[in-house]
Order: sequence, then structure tokens, then C-alpha cells
Amino acid sequence: MKAITEYAHNLKEAVGLSEVTAPAGEQVLSSQGRIAALIVAGVLAAFAPVAQAFEPFWLNLLTRMLVFALLALSLDFVFGYAGLLSFGHAAMFGAGGYTAALVVREMTTNALIVLPISMLVGILVAAFIGWFSVRAKGIYFAMLTLAFAQMFYVIIFTDLPAAALGVETITGGDDGLFGIPLYDIFGIDFGSRLLYFYLTLVFVLLSFAILVRVANSPFGRTMQGIRENEERMQFIGYNVQRYKLLAFAISGGFAGLAGGLYVPFQSVAQPGLLHWTISGELVVMLLLGGMGTLWGPMLGGALVIYLEERLAGFATWEIILGSVFVVVVIFAPRGLAGTLISIRNDPRNAITNAKGALRNYIEKVKG
Amino acid sequence: MLESLLRATLLGLQLGVTLALIAAGLTLIFGMMDVINFAHGALYMLGAYIGLVIADLLGSFWLALLLAPLVVGVIGAGIEIFSLRPLYGRNPLYHILLTFGLAIMAQGIIVEIWGARSRRIPAPELLSGSVSVGPVTYPVYWLFVLAFSTILIGTIWIAIERSDLGILMRASAHDTEMVDALGVDVKKVFTAVFVFGAALAAIAGVLLGASRSVHPGMGFGVIIEAFVIVVIGGLGSFKGAIYAALLIGLVIAYGALIAPALTDLFIFTLMAAVLIIKPSGLFGATEAA
Repeated sequence: MKAITEYAHNLKEAVGLSEVTAPAGEQVLSSQGRIAALIVAGVLAAFAPVAQAFEPFWLNLLTRMLVFALLALSLDFVFGYAGLLSFGHAAMFGAGGYTAALVVREMTTNALIVLPISMLVGILVAAFIGWFSVRAKGIYFAMLTLAFAQMFYVIIFTDLPAAALGVETITGGDDGLFGIPLYDIFGIDFGSRLLYFYLTLVFVLLSFAILVRVANSPFGRTMQGIRENEERMQFIGYNVQRYKLLAFAISGGFAGLAGGLYVPFQSVAQPGLLHWTISGELVVMLLLGGMGTLWGPMLGGALVIYLEERLAGFATWEIILGSVFVVVVIFAPRGLAGTLISIRNDPRNAITNAKGALRNYIEKVKG
Repeated sequence: MLESLLRATLLGLQLGVTLALIAAGLTLIFGMMDVINFAHGALYMLGAYIGLVIADLLGSFWLALLLAPLVVGVIGAGIEIFSLRPLYGRNPLYHILLTFGLAIMAQGIIVEIWGARSRRIPAPELLSGSVSVGPVTYPVYWLFVLAFSTILIGTIWIAIERSDLGILMRASAHDTEMVDALGVDVKKVFTAVFVFGAALAAIAGVLLGASRSVHPGMGFGVIIEAFVIVVIGGLGSFKGAIYAALLIGLVIAYGALIAPALTDLFIFTLMAAVLIIKPSGLFGATEAA
């Protein structure tokens, strides 16, 4: 019996990604999950005025957590489902953010106009990067997306567009753009922190619903197929490259949307938004939350932002965040989501499993 | 004009061979164990800081250059045994994520111990002053770095190509199971390679810590340059890493001459161009997989 489970384990490891991500063919979010998502959103909505009354700091934190949950969600869509490890998602985030900043300052503050434009720019940037990158596989894809994202970072940082067009400033160089006003929608002003939180919540919830839908669709299944066995999909007749590009572009659109929500809220757009460390942190969020569930990475994103905020006072926060992360990678490779799922499926065995994982670790260290 | 060009060339070569020290470890570790080591920049930074402490305590740059790599090597052994080893056989992705976590941790630890202030390792008296190379005057210390790194890299190259140990290393990278079956403890080879790579990074840290500066951002700064080099050269290729390091060193130096703000753009454009034309890098043995 032990031999069989060991064999199954080895097989899973040989397949690789399927250990990390949701098994292909499973419903992305059961009806139970949908209800849970709505309950979480409802609780957040109800909690917001309380937070506003007692501790406005919480409202800021919650809004930022939502934005990064959306960003992590966008990355999970392309990594957890299509198996494309993007190490350059900050490019689309930053591009969406800068777009929002420029449009809001120069043209209109109507969120229903600005946010779709941010999304569109995110899609365009992703399409550009993806066009050159999707042919490469695995590590090479990650490195190409990283290189392109850093190119965008340098372009924004040195305000190359202004130099090219011969005007004084466009991106504001390393200072960035300051004093970005908040949104309104046809006369309704989202200037208050509470209303802005609701605006963000609605957009994040909508994005989640759309991405769950897409992941459950035939398109989502095809992507999972590509993740599991690209060659086979190619032989069947799928244009794998085009599917990957499409997935990357969709993901980039939602990253752009996250940028569009983030920049007016922070009232500044700085080159740091595009820096590769943001992309790296995003991958941290994804793994911590658990890839391929869509809700797991959102949880991971919110948690990392929360930890950052709470531990920022201590100089040691990086040490704590780093160690939490290392422990999760070694002992809970499927992240929080995976751990929660296995506890739900088999609560009694949870402790035995933990012991087994520890024993396994010690054995492997001994070699 | 000719003068500044010659100066930039010397500078570029000096930077190139130092970067080669870092990239060599990175590429050997990848070639052997399929690990993309995001913590490599942290090991380089740790080398610089430990070198700083030794230089302060013992008052000798030479002892720092000798001892810091040993200390970092021991730390590297700890990292390999306790965090990388349990993950071998899993998807290589986990190593990226793990080492990224380690890099964040190391960053925090360094800021916690040494603070955010920028410092410099005092260069030895012996290497102060400058010499004339043709029409340009050039600091003696930089020439020393150029010569020292070149000799070191050359020695390693010959060792990998010729020595039994080098053959064993290449064989282990090529077919781990076969080498294992022949009775060699591949686990020990892995640990040794990781320690070796860490020590090389630490040497680079001490060398550059005396000519540039030692600060908490240096690890994350250099890791991206090192990745670019390793990817351009072809992941896992030692020869490729050396050539690419020299190339990038020169691009940085000439870039600083033309448009200092845009050197990063040149580097990343070069990398993207190479990958688009040749997806497995200049000396990549296999098709990208």
C-alpha cells in the first residue's frame, strides 16, 4: 500500500505543476464557493462603515488589500491556469496606474471612462510583451517577461516619452506624478475613503466573477490542457501560442485595472509601481495563497499587504515575511488554499499529515 | 575621444570579470541542480558585509578577501542542506520561490544588523594610487580587480574543462542518475557546487565593496544583472556566462559614455533581442524547455 501511495506521489511530482495548481477538469469555484465569496464581500461591505467610524486606517488597509488581491488574481489566471510564470506583471500594473493618472489629470475623472482605458492599456502592454515572450517556455518565459517589464520601468523612470516627443515631462521621471484626484461617476463623487472602498470592492468582485467564468469556460479548460501537456494540445490542433497570448493579454487587462484603482487612491504614480520587486512580491502572494484556485491568491495578496502594514513598524518585517514564505514553500507547497482544502476534506488527518511532512523533511535533509 | 573609449573598455572589462564571478556561480548552480538562485545576490551582499566586518576587525583587506568567502560558503552549505535539498525533484519553480523568500529574509537581516547606511571596504595601501595605461590614468585597485578576477575565472575554466572534479561536475549536471549509480554521492557534489558558487559571489562582493560601495540594495541590484548575463549566455553554460558577462560589462561601460540613464534599457533590450533570436541563449546547449 505504501508503495502505491509513494508511486502516486512520485508520479505527481514528475508531472510537476499539477501538484501546485488545481487538478484539470475540476470546477474552479463550486456553488458553495460562490456563496462564500459573496458572504466575504458582504461582510467587507458591512464592516467598512464600522472601520470608517473607529479606525480609518483600517479602511485604507482594506482598500489596498483589495487592489493587491485583484493583482494576484490576475497573475493566477495566467500562471495557475495557463502555466505561464510571468515575472513582469508590475509592467501592466504600472502602465494601468500611469494611464489613470494622466487621464484623470488631463481629461476626465469619471471612473467608468478611466478604468476601462487603464484596462485597455494593460491589455496592450501585455499583448506587446506576450507577443515576444509566449514562444519561450518555463524559466525563459519568466526571464523575458522580467526583461520587458524592466524596460518599461526604465522608460518611465527616465521619462523617455517626453524626451522622444520633445516636451518637458510626461511620466515625471523618478519623481512620478503627484496630486492625482479621486474618481467620480456621473456626478457621484468617490472622494471619501468609504465610497472609494466600495468602488474598489465592486470592481474587484466583478473581476473575480468574470475570471471565474472564463476559467470555467471551454477557453479555461483549453488553457489547463496547455498547462498540463502543451505538445498534446498542439497535436490535437490548438494554436497554443495564440491561446497563451490571449490569456496573457486578459490577465494584463486586470493588472491594468488594479493599477487604475491604486494610483488615484494613493494620489501618486511612481516608477516603483513597475519595478521587478513588485512582480516578485506578486509571485510570493500567489504561492502563499495557493495557485490555481483564483480565491487563494486573493487571500495571499490581502495577507501579504496586511503583514507588510502591520510589521512595517518593525525593521524585521522582511525577515518575518521571508521566513513565513520559506516555511510555506517547504511544508505547504499548495499554499493557504491547499491547506484549507485538505483540512476541510479530512480534518482528522490534518495533524498526522503535518507530522508526516516534518518527518519527510528531516529525511530529505539527511539525504 | 580615444582616451575615454580606452578608459571605458578597461572599466567594462573590469566590471565584466567581476560580474563573471557572480554569474559563474549562478550558472553552475543552475546547470547542476536546475535551481534559479534568487538568493545569489544576497550571498554577494553578505560577502561584502562580512568582508567589511573582517576588514574593520582585523584591519586587513587581504584577510577579508580570504575569510569572507569561507564564511559565506558555510552559510551557503546551510542554505543548500536545509532548504534546497528537501525540494529536489519537485518542480524547479519551487526553487525560484524559495530562494526569493531567502533573498527577502537576507535583506531584512542585513538591514537589521548593519542598518541602511552605505559604506566602503578600505582598499589596501599597496593598491592605492593610479597608473598610466597608454594615454589614460587608471586606479591601481581596478587593475588589481581586473587581473585577480581574470586569473580566478581562467583557473576555474581550466579546472572545469580539464580536472577530474570538473568532469565529475559536468557529468553530474548532464546525467545525475548515472553518476549516482556509479557510486558518487551526488548530494555532496550538489552541496559543494552551491558552496563554491556562494564563495565566488562573496569574493565579488569584497572586490566591488572596495571600489563601489556596500549598501543594502546591492543584492537585488546585482541579481538582475547576473540573471541577464546567465540567460544571454545560455542557462547552465559556464562559457556562455563568461562571454555574456564581458559583453554586459562593456555595454554598461560604453552605455555610461553615451547615455548613462539608459544603460539598463540597453541591457534589457540586448537580452530580449538575444532570447527572441535564440531562445536558449548564445551558448545554450538544449532547446528552451
